[in-house]
Order: sequence, then structure tokens, then C-alpha cells
Amino acid sequence: MKTLWVVGAALLLWPAPGQALMAPQDQVLDTFPHALHEGMFPLCTGCHGGVPTGELERFYPDAATCVRCHELRGVEGVTWSGREPGTLVSNLAFAHEVHGAAVSATGDAELVCATCHTAEGGGRMDVDPLSADVCVSCHGHPAQRHTQDAECATCHVPLAESGLPLERIDAMRPPRDHFSGAFAAGAHGAALAGNEFRCSTCHTRQLCTACHVDADRSEIQSFPAAPADMRLPEARSRYPTPESHASEDFEWEHGALSEETSCATCHTRDDCASCHLPPLPAAAGELRRRSEVVAPGVGLSVDVPSSHESPHFLGEHPALAIPDMASCQSCHTSAFCVECHEGPGQPEFHPPNFVAEHAASAWNQTAECSTCHDAQAFCRSCHVQSGFAADGRLGPGYHDAEPLWLLRHAQAARQSLESCASCHSQRNCLQCHSTVGAFQVNPHGRDFDAKRAQEKNPGVCFACHSTNPIGGGGP
Amino acid sequence: MRMRSVGGSLVLAAAALALSAHAAAGQGYRGWTSSNVRYVGMRPVTQESVARDLVVEGADGLTYQGHPVFCLSGASCTYFAALDTEHAFTGSQDVGVTAWGLGLQGLSFTALVRARARIGGDFIWPRSDDDFDAMLAYAQLDRGRLRARLGRQENLSGLGFRGYDGASVAMEVLPELSVEGYGGRSLVRGLNEPRQEALKGLVDFFPNRDAWIVGASANVRLDGRTSADLQYQREILDDRSGLLSERASLDVRTGVFEPVMVTASVDYDVAFDRMGKSHVTASYALPGPPVVVQLTGRRYVPYFDLSTIWGFFSPVPYHEVIVRGSWSGTAATAWLSGGARSYGETDTPVILSPLESDAWILEAGGVWPASERLTVEASYDLRWGVGAFLSSGEATVRFRPREDLDIAIQATSLQQFQEFRVGEGRIWGGGGTVGFIVSDRIRLDGGLSIFRHADEGRQIQDPWSQLRGWSALRLEFGSEPGTTGRRFRR
Repeated sequence: MKTLWVVGAALLLWPAPGQALMAPQDQVLDTFPHALHEGMFPLCTGCHGGVPTGELERFYPDAATCVRCHELRGVEGVTWSGREPGTLVSNLAFAHEVHGAAVSATGDAELVCATCHTAEGGGRMDVDPLSADVCVSCHGHPAQRHTQDAECATCHVPLAESGLPLERIDAMRPPRDHFSGAFAAGAHGAALAGNEFRCSTCHTRQLCTACHVDADRSEIQSFPAAPADMRLPEARSRYPTPESHASEDFEWEHGALSEETSCATCHTRDDCASCHLPPLPAAAGELRRRSEVVAPGVGLSVDVPSSHESPHFLGEHPALAIPDMASCQSCHTSAFCVECHEGPGQPEFHPPNFVAEHAASAWNQTAECSTCHDAQAFCRSCHVQSGFAADGRLGPGYHDAEPLWLLRHAQAARQSLESCASCHSQRNCLQCHSTVGAFQVNPHGRDFDAKRAQEKNPGVCFACHSTNPIGGGGP
Repeated sequence: MRMRSVGGSLVLAAAALALSAHAAAGQGYRGWTSSNVRYVGMRPVTQESVARDLVVEGADGLTYQGHPVFCLSGASCTYFAALDTEHAFTGSQDVGVTAWGLGLQGLSFTALVRARARIGGDFIWPRSDDDFDAMLAYAQLDRGRLRARLGRQENLSGLGFRGYDGASVAMEVLPELSVEGYGGRSLVRGLNEPRQEALKGLVDFFPNRDAWIVGASANVRLDGRTSADLQYQREILDDRSGLLSERASLDVRTGVFEPVMVTASVDYDVAFDRMGKSHVTASYALPGPPVVVQLTGRRYVPYFDLSTIWGFFSPVPYHEVIVRGSWSGTAATAWLSGGARSYGETDTPVILSPLESDAWILEAGGVWPASERLTVEASYDLRWGVGAFLSSGEATVRFRPREDLDIAIQATSLQQFQEFRVGEGRIWGGGGTVGFIVSDRIRLDGGLSIFRHADEGRQIQDPWSQLRGWSALRLEFGSEPGTTGRRFRR
């Protein structure tokens, strides 16, 4: 199963139990100088009266008991202040009363305490820190590695049920197999199958849900969850990239490769929507929505470039798009451009009153109308319809603000020829600007290269010239 | 015949599909349809004549019933007058579709077609009598670093949009370098129809020929901060009797001057041996506050191909400087831009005095999200141009009572002088639009507006009200794979 590979990443960052589960507790137990008190207490239960009955509050003597005896004997130096029952919390599946009752059947209760709590060959009061080895010395342990091969449930309860404080969970060290990349990349899922108790001994469901966006899957839901008030180490979500994603063809093939169990570990439906337009692919429909999950997931998002948010973007986008169409094609196909640039597909492309005010934009050549429109075929056809096109009559015509327009129009024409062509036909101009026209006015500018123009297209010269003007070619 | 050319394109595009006939059943398709209906009332003008003795001479010059009149010989005079309102009622239907999984990895087919119809009215809206257009119809093979297209397609570059029926091959030679070559039958700019179909009868001295187009481009991307596109394109009449155009362009975008982003472009008309339009824009986002400042220098001269006389009339460029600033805070967005323009020396005779050769532009606007569901937008546009003037303001209140419903109310007012014409046009208007998301695949939009035209001074027309309305129904269909083409660099 490669579906649980994600959890491993978090495990690397979350200290897990190591070889000595009882170490913190042992350190506390070791502080009492049992050897100095040898001979004073005939029975262990004199101080640890609650042990045989399982009463935690009587596991240890209170401070007043020690002080009373010390004062009676004139001995100073009692630092014992009693023990909080919480410090006795353990994740061991062990109860003294049960274990004690079983051993009592042997008739030697005192021996039972010393068997486990004293050093080998030592006296009854020669108390040593307790380690798992003591348990194993009687019960046997078939595993070679305590944290990897053992049947954890034999000795431990799930972490979620243990109530261990945060400090003791933090002190746990991860088993060796957790350090491999394969474990993080998915092997932990396989390790979980059929061996759930091994994982739950050190982890709670909260670790799974920190990374898995599909936390509602059965394997996770059946995993023991810690109570809400239990303090747990912080679980940071990390999503290492699977090998499959590095393939050059992954972007093409991920649809065919997709299956809910593999994608849903890290991805939500929202990730699909960052590239795909609705309606989303069927496979995406199987995934959870981001708002429905606890884990952040990979969190792909629609990354609208900041340039798109500029109020000037509409005017700027050609300058941005042309030198780097690849950027545009990350999200847009050519059909997207054509929807607007080919005319009336989107009525909102021009503002509603654009017809009324387009004259100024066109005349001033701000809009670069010719990007989309052919002046003769588009503009003039409408101007003819609406009566604004010239009929060829000489005079100021429409431009009546200039009484001598016919004589003065040359400057305006060279400044805004595009607009001239939107109302005037070529024949209008040739009434004066041709070799057979009324005035034979030369329209060519000072830098006009007649020879070059004729070489490029000799035919057009004869629109104005009845004979070959420079002898460079003919119709 | 228009249908014949469209059919030819489709045949070209289908040719590639035939190569994979063994797996003709598409594994997927995706597309959309857009059904548009539009109405607009128009009031055409006509040039009338009137006897000289009916013309009144006053402070506004010669007028007849308030219309400015021009009298050439003294015997008869002419004036422009508005006719009765005519109506244009048109519809269009767009269908765009992409199909893939055609038996060959990377093979897809894309088409974008449009049908038009005159629904009613006596005013013929531009191109509403053009029944059918195929704007895109091509098969595409996208394999690794190679992309090939066959059919009707469109090229976007610094030379503008150009459509053609033919083939293109693009290749990512290096991660930093892509090249493309293309060629085929040229389509008229903006019309996407062969020249013979689109221009015959519309253009004087029409050569009555189609044309071929060939072009190549190279796109370079350096260190993720700089990209450049070099384009060369040539159009030639199909009998090779002459060129229609020969142009080149260079477009650059760079962030090497960070935090200043620079875009620049220039095109060159090889046929006429003259510079075309160009621009350079520097954008600077101020650190901290959401303020962006832009400075643009621009040169513009219109491009005409060699089939008309217009390019031979030596158009002159203008040079323009525009400064823009925008502020985008959480509470509001506002922008302001201003520019000045100067036209080049026209080298024409000066009669009495030269005409204007300078112009100014001012734009301002803002968006204020008054609440989560209410937004107020306003803008103002001033164009003090050569021989023409426009002062226009707009305000929009946009209300979204639900996630699937968008309602906007707009008001506008503009004042303009048109090209060297006496008379002041004033328009007030208002309207509203409604957008309703019916489902995740269906969206319905519509709008209705009315504009009051009230010329002042020497007027062409009496005050009248213009009604405009439109509706658009957009439907998406199919599924996968969405819009991405990210692996293909160009």
C-alpha cells in the first residue's frame, strides 16, 4: 500500500517510543535510598500499601509519614514531598493487583516484589530501576527488536488510552525502520495492515489526520484517537512528492493513473479545480472537498498571476502575452483568446455604449482596432449602413468644422489614415490623388521608396498610375 | 463560396484524424456553446441638399433647421440629417469543442464555429448577414517537445492575430528556446475568411486572389525572468505576382531590473522599409503599500498591406508617454493615468495654419467593495485628441445577493466632438445587467440599456432615445481535460 506513505513523514518529526519505555519513571523511582532503610521495613507494603490493591494514591507513602519517623529518631534531611498519582501513569498493560494475585498463589508475596524490583543477587531493599528486561526475564520475548518485532499488545496499551504526559511521549525514540525513505513514502501503510497495535502503541489517530485528507477511511477511523484533553506532540504535515509525479509524462497520464485511494491521501477536489475547469473529471468527484477535511492536503490553488489583478490588465495583456505565450498557455488555450478577439461572442467585450463613443478611440488610434477588425470590411460596412461613409463628393462633407477641409485634410489624413479608411473608399481619394484624377496630387511622403514598393507589389501601382511610373515592372 | 472554404479547412483538420481511423471513437471531449441575441436601435444619418435661399446665416454659421450646412457654389447646399430609428436584431451561436483520445497520444481536435442570423429589423449589423464562420478547426498532435497543427488556426504575435488554413509545427528545442514555423492560405485579419470571400466587392482594386502566408518565430526564455519573441511573417498573392506584406516583430519582457518589470515591443514593415509600432513599459510595484506605477513610451503607426493604396499615403506615427498609477488596498482599488501624444511631421502643405498634432489622455477609476455583496465601480475617460474630443464617465453598482446571481446597474454620460466636425454630442444613459448561474454548466446573462442622445450646437439630429439589449446563454458540456497545455512551451 502506497496510500499511507504520507504519515511516515510526520513520524520523522514526531518522536516515537524507543528502547526504554519506562526510563523517565525509573529515574524517579531510583531517587529513594532504599539501602539506607534496610531493616526498618519488614514488608514492602509498609510504604507501598496500595500496590497489591491497585490504589494509586497509596502506591507511595506521603511525606508526613517519613517526617514523623525522622523527627522521632532526630534525623534530618527529609526531602520527600509525596508523589503525584499522575506520575505513575504508564502505557504498560500491567496491574500490580492482577499480577500480585497471580503470584500470591505461590505463597511468597515478598519474594514477588523483590523478584522484579531488586538487582540480581541483591537484598530485598537493594532496589534497582525497573526495565523491560526484568519482565522479559520471566515471560520471554520472541522479538529480536523490541520496537519492531514484538507483539506490543502483550505489554502495552495504546497511547491514546495511556494518558501519558507530553514529556514522556516526547522522550520516545522512533524505531529504526521509521528512518527509511520507503517508510515515509508509503511503507508505513503496509506496516499498519494487520499490525495496527504496533502503530497505536506510540501513535494516535491525530497523527494520521494531520496529513491524510482522507481521514474518514476505515483504517484511520478504527485507529485509537486520543481524548481531546490529552496533550500530544505537534504533528506537522508534510507531503513529499511521490516518484510517479516526477515522471515527464505524469501530467498527461495522471488522469489514467488516478484512483481514489492514491490521490485522496494528499489531494482534495479543490486541487483538481486549480487546473481543471468545471465540470471536473469523474475521478475528482470522488475526492473530498477541502472544506470537509482536517489535514491541509497538498493545497494546490488557482494561482492567478498578479498581473491579472491590475485594473490596466486588459490593455496590458498583449504586451505580457506575446513574449511569453507559454505562461498564458499554462491556463488558456487559443480558443480562449479567440472568444473575444473574433468579435461578438462575448457581448461584454466592449462596454454597452461602446458604439456611441468608439469614434474617439478609433480616431485617436488608442484601441488599435485593426488587431481585430478590418477597416474596409468591418468598419466601413457599418458606416455605409449608418450614413457616415463618404460618397465621394468633394467638399468638407462630414468634417464641417474645417471650411477648407479639402485643402487642409492632408495632415489629418497622414495622422489618422486608419480612420480615413473606415469611411472612405480608395476611389474617393483617387479623385485627386491619381495620375488620371482631377488634381493629380502626389500622396507619397518624402521617404517613400517607389522602387522598393514596386518590387514588392507592382500591381498596386496601377491603382493610381495609368502607366508604369518608374519602369520597374508592369501589370 | 464561404461554405467551400470552411469545408476545406475541416477536411484539412480531419486529415490528421484519419491517420488514427482505427480508434476513431473519442475518449473525451469538452466544449461550450454560447447563444447570443442582440438588439440595438440606430439612427442613420444621410446627406441632404437644400436650396441656398433656405439656409440661415447666423452666429453658428450656415444652418438649415438647426443643422450645420455647407454650401459649395452658393446654388445648392448640403447637410447631414438623421433618419428615423432603425432596428438591428441579430443572433449568433458559437460552439467551441475540443476532442481527444483519438487513438494516438497527444492527438486532439479543436473547433470554434459561429453561426449568425438576422432576426429582424432593417438595419444590417456588421457581419450579421455572414451566416457561418469557422474560426478554428484544427487537429493537433502534441508529443513531448513537439506540437503540430493542421487546419484552420490562428497565430498570435507582435504582428497581431493572423488566421490561416494550413499547418504549423512548433518545437521546444531547449528548455529556454522554442521555435515555430507555419504556413498556409492566409485569412483576412479579423474576419478569418479567405480574401476572395471576404473582400470581394468591398475593396476597390481588389486583386481577386487568395494569398499564402508563411512565418516563423523563436521564443527565448532566460533564467525565468526574461522572455523574448522574434517573429517573421510574409504574405504573398497565390499567383506570386506580388507581396501583400512582409513584417517582423520583437517582443521582450524582462525582470532583470527587479523590482522594475519591463516590457517592450517593436515591429518593422519590411515591405515598406519602415518602423511600425513599438512600446516600452516599465512597471514598479512599491515595496509595502499595494501601489504600482507604470511608465509607457509608445509609438504607433497603422499597418496597411500592399493590396491597398493606404500604405502608400505615408502615414506618420505618433509618440506617446503615459504614466499610470494604481492602488489596490483591501478597502478599495483606484487608478489614475495620464498621457501626452505628439504626431510626427506629416510633410504636407500648410494652408492658413497647421492642424492639431498633440493630444492628451486622462483616465481615472476606482472600485469600492462596500460590502461582501455590494461593489461600486466608477471610471472617467478623457481623450483630447486631434480633431476629436471625448469626455466620458461611468458608474456601476454591482450587487450579488446570492452566489449564483449578479446584478449590475450602470449609468453613463459622455460628451464628444467627432472628427473635425462642428457639433457637440451629449449622451446620458443607464441600464442594467443580470448574470445568473443556472448550474455549474449553464450561465445566463442579459442586459438592457437606454441612451439619450442630445446633440448640442450645430446638430445632426433631434434628441432621441436609443435602446440596446442583449442576452447570452452559455452552456458547457463534456468533461476532462480542462484548459491546460502547460507542458507545451509554445
